[in-house]
Amino acid sequence: MSKRVHISPLANEGMYILDTASWRTERPVMNKEKCIECGLCLTYCPVNAIIFDENKYKITYNYCKGCGICAVECPKKAIDMVPEGGGK
Amino acid sequence: MKIKAMTGNTTAAIAASLCRPDLIAAYPITPQSSVAEYLSELVHSGELQTNYVTTESEHSVMSVIQGAACAGGRTFTATSGQGLALMYEPYFQMSTMRLPMVMAIVTREMISPCTVWSGQQDAMSVRDAGWLQVYVENNQEIMDMIIQGYMITEHEDVLIPINVCYDGFYLSHLVEGVDVPSQKEVDAFLPPVHFNHAILDPDNPMAVDSLTSGEVLTRYRKGHLEAMVKTLDVIEEVDKKFAKSFGRSYGGAIEEYKCDDADIVLVAIGGMTGTARDAVDMARDKGIKAGLIKLRFVRPFPTDRIANALKGKKAFAVVDRSVCFGWNAGPMYTEVRAALINGDDKYSHFSAIGGLGGADISIKHMTSVIEKLESVKSKPGQHDTLWLMKEF
Amino acid sequence: MNYIEKLRTSEDMVTPGMSACQGCCGELVLRRILQISGKNTIVCVPPGCMSGAGVVGWDYQTGMKIPVHIPLLTNTASFLSGVSQMYQRKGRGDVNMIAVAGDGATADGGFQSLSGAAERNEKMLYVCYDNEGYMNTGFQRSSTTTKGSRTSTTPIGEAINGKQQPSKYVALIMSMHALQYCATASPSHMQDMVAKVERGLAESKKGFAFIHVIAPCPTGWSFEPDMSIQIAKKAVASNMFPLWEKYNGNYYITVENKKPIPVKEFLQSMGKYKSLTDDDIAQIQKEADTKYETLKKLASE
Repeated sequence: MSKRVHISPLANEGMYILDTASWRTERPVMNKEKCIECGLCLTYCPVNAIIFDENKYKITYNYCKGCGICAVECPKKAIDMVPEGGGK
Repeated sequence: MKIKAMTGNTTAAIAASLCRPDLIAAYPITPQSSVAEYLSELVHSGELQTNYVTTESEHSVMSVIQGAACAGGRTFTATSGQGLALMYEPYFQMSTMRLPMVMAIVTREMISPCTVWSGQQDAMSVRDAGWLQVYVENNQEIMDMIIQGYMITEHEDVLIPINVCYDGFYLSHLVEGVDVPSQKEVDAFLPPVHFNHAILDPDNPMAVDSLTSGEVLTRYRKGHLEAMVKTLDVIEEVDKKFAKSFGRSYGGAIEEYKCDDADIVLVAIGGMTGTARDAVDMARDKGIKAGLIKLRFVRPFPTDRIANALKGKKAFAVVDRSVCFGWNAGPMYTEVRAALINGDDKYSHFSAIGGLGGADISIKHMTSVIEKLESVKSKPGQHDTLWLMKEF
Repeated sequence: MNYIEKLRTSEDMVTPGMSACQGCCGELVLRRILQISGKNTIVCVPPGCMSGAGVVGWDYQTGMKIPVHIPLLTNTASFLSGVSQMYQRKGRGDVNMIAVAGDGATADGGFQSLSGAAERNEKMLYVCYDNEGYMNTGFQRSSTTTKGSRTSTTPIGEAINGKQQPSKYVALIMSMHALQYCATASPSHMQDMVAKVERGLAESKKGFAFIHVIAPCPTGWSFEPDMSIQIAKKAVASNMFPLWEKYNGNYYITVENKKPIPVKEFLQSMGKYKSLTDDDIAQIQKEADTKYETLKKLASE
């Protein structure tokens, strides 16, 4: 099926992605010294901005909306919300 | 060839089952109920292997069918009146998602006043919901158009669902002789279902019916309207193919009867056409040059064929079994008139309305239309709507 | 593999950037369900916050890695019945059939088709994310909105103060169908929720599975976005939203609440209940107690 001649309303030309990072007024910053790698931040992140990479939990900022749930839920208070200076 | 005496509803059920539907969903409503019942019998006896879903409403009927069509299935249902009205939400979406299917509308008057009887108001009210609509005259035509319907709706230039509309009670409960084709004959005529332009499939993931901007939506509507125009050719093509396989032709989108030398022409829709045919014959016996157009397809509207058939005639009247609120006329009258806008002829014309809520349209009524046509044929312009009803 | 390992190793099926509000539990629930179900899934997301937030795509771009359709508000379960039936017919009963619908599409306009599909025991998993109102269109009340809530159609007024009727307990109503599986879940109790989604998916291969998930909504309920999980926790801890399941005809309370907190603690943690009187709170407390007692009775039989 060639581009732009769909018979029915359908979408199969890539992913619709919004720049949700630009909403952020605060960014979560992880203090790895306090982190016990429990993973609760990952389970509760609505955006899936927290990943598990090389056996460590890490915060990514491409889509993080800055809701702050990870900071509240962290049992070791290892995540701080820091005012955004702009950019990703 | 096997002639069987059966009702319109039995005919519709058998026709659908001969087309090997993957899924049927149905909900009973007068006068359609025996279609749902007969299909259940076929399924429960093992004669028909289909997924038969008996839902809690017509709204769900069309929704289940839409889901099955989004998985590439051939589907069937039938409904009437209030059921069609309840179904309207997914009904519109079925056509605008361009999902093919055949749905019989056993036409019924709309409430109020409370009624369960015949009338074409239900089907006519949804003629701008993007479906194809064919109105048939007798039980044989129900059989033949359900079979043809699948070929038309699944045609790659069409991909628009189709309603086969037949008069509640007058056809649904009337027993007539029907030539029932064999499964082998139908299989030879109708290829297996194959469409996948809008498909929910993990191996080919897509969003079906994404949120759509106005500009893109306009593009889909334009494509839908263009497909409707192409469908006019497909209708004729399938009629010819069908005639070749089964020996019966219906003349495509309209059928003309004694129109060639006619002065005055009746336009009729659905079951009343048989009565109109007799009235025309009787008028001819009296030396009146009357003709008849049987309006079969209402969507797409056969504008050119109507204009050609009426070319050079003095007068015409359209007999509607429904009303067009706001026009003081029947809906097909307004559309036939619109089809003539490009011609130079100055017709005398009027709308005739009758047969509402199960009332009969008799030979007497049809003759009264012809008599009025005769009396006004030399006075071009619109004449008063003729109500075909008893004096109280 | 424990639930955290599962979540950290499973692929996200939803567009990374969607316009759900900060701290939206609907988004969290949607992502988790589809992470668990994986690629071999067809999902329906009716009109509501999630579809409005872009997960069904825009024009020619999709919002998911899996096939997704936006049915009508009123027909999610029946539409998915048709898809499911065709997949059974094609011998592809392995494909997960999932609906993720809000409370409006579940308990209000969509309830007839939902009840019909459950009665027919159609093979699917239907998840309701309940944010107690039509949040996508501006926080109008729904039948699951708690009594006393401030919504845009039940505002706080001199004459009438918030919603006047108690909420419809859709999970218990659904459980009275002869369905395959029924459960309630909360994103705050993620381990429990993951287990229920897994069980629901397994049961959906045999019949109808329904999960009712509480989805606190910072924007509509008036609380800070970082408090979403805390609010959900309090809903469970106060018995405003008890966690239970029903399968094989038996009810089980999955998170026992030995010492429930007063509902007041839950109610006072957000703005939507701020005009409740002490009498209102007492009545809501009574309703929560009764609800839990009923569930305990059901679970003990």
